[in-house]
Amino acid sequence: MASRDREQSKCCFKEWMELQEQDLSELLQALKLDPQNKDQLKHLAEKGICHFQDYINKRTQLARRDVSAFFAPTWCTSWENSLLWIAGCRPSLFFRLVYVLGGSKMESKLSEFLQDTREGSLGEVLTCSQLVVVNSLQSKTIREEERLTGELAALQEDIADQPIAMIAKGLSQLGEMNREVEEALDEHGQAMVRILEEADQLRLNTVKELVNILTPLQAVDFLVASKKLHLCVHKWGRNRDQKLGRENLED
Amino acid sequence: MAEICCGVVSESDTSSNPCEQSSRAARRRRMEIRRYKFVSGVASPPENAEKRKKVEACTTSVSRDLDNALECSGSSDEEKVVASLKIAAKCRPSTSSNIPEAFSEFPKYGLASVCGRRRDMEDAVSIHPSFCRRSRETDGKLHYFGVYDGHGCSHVATRCRERLHELVRDEVESMEEWRTAMERSFVRMDKEVVAWSEGGGGVSHCRCELQTPESDAVGSTAVVAVVTPDKIVVANCGDSRAVLCRNGKAFPLSVDHKPDRPDELKRIEEAGGRVIYWDGPRVLGVLAMSRAIGDNYLKPYVSCEPEVTITDRTAEDECLILASDGLWDVVSNDTACGVARMCLRGKRLAAAEAETDGSSSSDRACSDASMLLTKLALARHSTDNVSVVVVNLRRNTCP
Repeated sequence: MASRDREQSKCCFKEWMELQEQDLSELLQALKLDPQNKDQLKHLAEKGICHFQDYINKRTQLARRDVSAFFAPTWCTSWENSLLWIAGCRPSLFFRLVYVLGGSKMESKLSEFLQDTREGSLGEVLTCSQLVVVNSLQSKTIREEERLTGELAALQEDIADQPIAMIAKGLSQLGEMNREVEEALDEHGQAMVRILEEADQLRLNTVKELVNILTPLQAVDFLVASKKLHLCVHKWGRNRDQKLGRENLED
Repeated sequence: MAEICCGVVSESDTSSNPCEQSSRAARRRRMEIRRYKFVSGVASPPENAEKRKKVEACTTSVSRDLDNALECSGSSDEEKVVASLKIAAKCRPSTSSNIPEAFSEFPKYGLASVCGRRRDMEDAVSIHPSFCRRSRETDGKLHYFGVYDGHGCSHVATRCRERLHELVRDEVESMEEWRTAMERSFVRMDKEVVAWSEGGGGVSHCRCELQTPESDAVGSTAVVAVVTPDKIVVANCGDSRAVLCRNGKAFPLSVDHKPDRPDELKRIEEAGGRVIYWDGPRVLGVLAMSRAIGDNYLKPYVSCEPEVTITDRTAEDECLILASDGLWDVVSNDTACGVARMCLRGKRLAAAEAETDGSSSSDRACSDASMLLTKLALARHSTDNVSVVVVNLRRNTCP
């Protein structure tokens, strides 16, 4: 029963990664064939966000039965797991991506701007007003991230307190399971699910708001970069694991 | 970068290459802690009542604090945000067409201040047009621009933003001599923050929550420019910097206070302190700058005494740039001036939407310039908070 849950959770993740690959090729195709078609780009960006939402919903359901699997997923590589923040990426990481994407275009255009050869070319990177709103969203997101980090810390500390620590102390047989133990662990697990839901919601909202701030072209660029990064991290991690002779549980 | 440049900065700008290339190393050497805050504004003299109404209508609910200001502009609606950029403006009608007078009443400036790649914002900016009037200079008002870059926590920089201009006003109004007035206000500011944090400081929302000993290890740079009709007075303490763009060339009006600056090194050692290379030169191996407001535990090695420069304004002056090291670590003085003057010369960005009336386009240009410099700093992977103020010094930019 329990292993079936875990199998489903693993499937859920695998499906999500496959879907991201599909979405990625669609986004790349659109950028290649018709980068001027704002409506289409917008549609694709929204579709990508919908898929993210679906994945989150699905895994929340699964997490209600077995939450710890998501905090230390056996279907992810050890490198990926070392990067996890509440079972996913840090929402603040999206801002780094926005800055680095904007920055990569800026430098090449700076000299043209200074020589006045292509007036206005710098406008193609993040506009002033976009930067203002992105900065404000970043502050808000980091505040939320810090809040959740604090909550997670409290939950992790709770293990060494009433009731769990005292139950452990009182057991005559180490690791014995009884109703009291099961109840205490389940209750703790439920709190972990709540924090996972909040973290997922923060990740989703941050991407949603960013996509709204960005132009459709910028948004697609951003989604392409984030999906590529995510997929690469997964594949690189697997490569590393294999090289180090670590058993790859996914395959 | 600044550490390397400081010995070289003199009359003209340091050569840009070593600055820009060594920035990565410099960033690694830097370890200060920051917090968020975002302020932006453009003071403009609305040319007609209708426009003034428009600006006011857009911004009535918007405070000077862009944290709030921007929450209400969560859309990508350009106009709305443009309006919010003007929030700091005290919009007063101008009937004067006299150009120097127009500047003296309404300086044209823009500012940007972002958290960037840090998780905490510890920069603070304060701008006070017409913040005081000297009795003997009856025909012109004085404008105040200040950039503060906090370390350890945000509260000293925040206090400087709230108070330093008032102290400067006090001193300037009662004192003829600029240098002494500036020095005295910095000393008073320093005393206030030390007393304030020792006394618990009332309610504090900052990270350190003013708990000793942590709150003792908090300080801030301060670079302050007072622009008068004929002078630019710059007082600097720390490694933020003021740069004048004159006839296309960059003239630093302040010299960064770095512990390895020969004269600073001498001063520190004579006071019994030491500069230890621990992740770059640091006073007692701790602070990567040799002067600052606050930092009580490093006194007297870290001094709050500002260096003051007084520069006569000329017709060739284009703009003044004040910025925290988040900019200067990755952008040379020359590059910064180049970018700013391009913006001010009216070569505006394509994305900077056409604005038909010229009166505000200049303010808009200052905003564009400060934003563009900020974006450039981010593009060059500045790892610090970035705050940039650009003041237009042209006397003939008004229509």
